[in-house]
Amino acid sequence: MTVEQILTEIRAMLTEIIGAEYALGLDIGMDTSFDNDLQLESIEFVKLATMLAERYGDRVDFVAFLATKELDEIIEMTTGEVVAYIASCLTLADATDG
Amino acid sequence: MAEIIARGVRFHVQRLAARDQSSTLTRPVVFIHGLGLDNLSSFYYTLANPVAHGGATVILYDLRGHGLSERPRTGYQVTDSVADLAAILQTLNISGPVHLVGNSYGGTVALGFAVAYPERVASMVLIEAHVPVPGWAEQMATTIRGIGSDLSEGELGRWMAQNRKYARLAEFGKDLIHHTTFVTDLLATEPLAAQKLRIFTRPVLAVYGEQSDVIHHAHVLDGLLPHYTLTVLPDVDHSVLPKATRMVRTIVQEWFAAQ
Repeated sequence: MTVEQILTEIRAMLTEIIGAEYALGLDIGMDTSFDNDLQLESIEFVKLATMLAERYGDRVDFVAFLATKELDEIIEMTTGEVVAYIASCLTLADATDG
Repeated sequence: MAEIIARGVRFHVQRLAARDQSSTLTRPVVFIHGLGLDNLSSFYYTLANPVAHGGATVILYDLRGHGLSERPRTGYQVTDSVADLAAILQTLNISGPVHLVGNSYGGTVALGFAVAYPERVASMVLIEAHVPVPGWAEQMATTIRGIGSDLSEGELGRWMAQNRKYARLAEFGKDLIHHTTFVTDLLATEPLAAQKLRIFTRPVLAVYGEQSDVIHHAHVLDGLLPHYTLTVLPDVDHSVLPKATRMVRTIVQEWFAAQ
């Protein structure tokens, strides 16, 4: 998958979480921050983590990714950081499979 | 998202697999969050992952009316919270003893569970646990009514309305406080069955902040629980989990490593 394809999927997930109406006024891109821009509640971020696990399965260990971060770092993350992490996991999984 | 039905209510549950298969920690660790604006995310981002990495299967759930769980109009007595936990464990096919980690009201639920089902508790970690001593329910109800009023008509509500995240939390809080039996159920809480805690023989670790408004509850427990270890963190108030996360994490990891 390309970074752009992953971003498209994450954008759809975030839109579902925050609601299409609120997302309408936002252009969710790589620099969009979960806190300042999306004003995501911490429980909504748990929801995102669950959606990522359902979508990408064992290839993406999002729980381990979060375990390396403190709470304030998680809150201040951008969409791009999540996309980059997923892209690196998928590349690794492809290389292992191949 | 993991959703289960227990006692007719839809609960949001997260299960984290044990990461270190060589660990001797064979019992699941169940995290119980606090009341009001709290939910499982406060443990999800702080202690749950490190404990899973330490080798335990971790269960987190949103209490009824909280987080992503359903918010029914009734069923907010401590005895309901205890029955909910028992039903959730049953639905997850967990019948043996579990380690309980409770924060604030989550500690109240853990204590209630230990009294009701002592054989099903391997150990407890109580972080800033509220202990239902005589007068506790009235004090809690007064505090929560005050928050409800401030959310609806006060500065707090006006401030929270400016931001999507806080506005959602405020709406949630107002609904829970004004449109469910949450407060009246709290008022119906029976004082803790102290004599039953005296015969609870499993180890209990309590962590309180030195400046906490419930620090006296730590000393109440000291007189009741036979295997009780108390750690008081300096210069911290009731917000031990968010404000002293690293310290609490180290203490809890060491505790489970020794179990």
